[in-house]
Amino acid sequence: MDDIIASSTGGHGQPGDGTADQLRWFDITDTDRRRAEALAETAGDVADEIIEAFYAHLLSFEDARRHFRTDAQIERVKRAQQTYFRELLSAPLDAGYVENRRRIGRIHERAGVTPTLYVGAYAYYLHSLGHLVMDRRGQDPQAVPLLLSLIKIAHFDMAQALETYVEAREATIEQREREMSELPTPVLQLRDGLLLIPVVGTLDSYRARSLTVKLLEGIRDHRAKAVVLDITGVAAVDSAVANHLIQTMTAARLMGATSVLTGLSADVAQALVKIGVTGETLRTAGDLQHGIEIAERLLDG
Amino acid sequence: MTSIELPAEHIQRIERDGDVVAARQTGRRIAAEMGFGRPEQALIATAISELARNIVSYAERGSITFRAEDHAGRRGLRIVAEDRGPGIPDLAQAMSDGFSTGNSLGLGLPGTQRIMDEFDIRSIPGEGVTVTVAKWISR
Repeated sequence: MDDIIASSTGGHGQPGDGTADQLRWFDITDTDRRRAEALAETAGDVADEIIEAFYAHLLSFEDARRHFRTDAQIERVKRAQQTYFRELLSAPLDAGYVENRRRIGRIHERAGVTPTLYVGAYAYYLHSLGHLVMDRRGQDPQAVPLLLSLIKIAHFDMAQALETYVEAREATIEQREREMSELPTPVLQLRDGLLLIPVVGTLDSYRARSLTVKLLEGIRDHRAKAVVLDITGVAAVDSAVANHLIQTMTAARLMGATSVLTGLSADVAQALVKIGVTGETLRTAGDLQHGIEIAERLLDG
Repeated sequence: MTSIELPAEHIQRIERDGDVVAARQTGRRIAAEMGFGRPEQALIATAISELARNIVSYAERGSITFRAEDHAGRRGLRIVAEDRGPGIPDLAQAMSDGFSTGNSLGLGLPGTQRIMDEFDIRSIPGEGVTVTVAKWISR
């Protein structure tokens, strides 16, 4: 958590299209940027005070305290946070800025800083700064517009970090889905020469290839003559899945084994026929038990 | 005739295989809630599967929009599959059985047309494909 609120010097590139759109969405204009900059001096004067108070507040929470191991580490994070807020006030809001904010968001996400911790810390800073600015410049009619502009930019800033949280979560889900869809397919020997392969999950082309390999290896290793392929657990049967199954069963046939496909619901079977999948190459059975019976007859016959 | 409150529109992002399954399940659920029979639900789910899989295979990302419609007592489900992929240069060829640029059966688009009541496909090469299909509840 050393570089939890680390920062870079920030690029000075032109805003990319995406960044320009975002700034428009948050209604952030050059005026807002100039107003926030006008706060830089005051904010710089009070930065230490705010950050000290913030860490006193933060470290009163046991969950937050766990993240910090040494005083030196706390010092580093405090300095990084100062840079972070200095950039919020005066760095150009361009594609480089967005990329930097997203990088910090990813570091936070990995370090276990929750959106609640992050938004809470932000709120604490804005609130403290608001109070201190009003104490010092309360008579200045510009004080409130300056703070309102800063709040706009802060929301834009927070959005960057929250997007990275969502992205990270989606990447995790995708990873899990891939792991699940790649669960090894078991090849079960029911009796001499008869294999049962229950297929579970989604059947994409990668998975279909590995299924074919497993099936062919199973046929060779067990000297199988009949195979029951049960697809009750396949999530989405469509023409692409049917195509994979046809190819797998054709390959089995070339290895000298007959396959019986089971677990296709009546509704899905009808839909496949209407779409144009011909069952000629597929030997099917209504349910698993019937499929095994057919396979046994093939063996005995 | 019962009327069921449904959100006007439901959009599902399609970017990976898992989304194909999710879109299919969403479509089936909406179809069931609208009162489609089980065989029709399966047809709708299969059509969604074909359209969503085409997006993943050929355009990488896109979306599927579900819209419950009610015109003069005729109720149905309209599904729009959109992507901004490379598009289809020859629509007539893409709509013929057995044609595929990938290693597939080439039944996806013509098959989807066969199982839905309405089918419309538009594509500008380089700008993507929009397929709009609809199924009406038979009375």
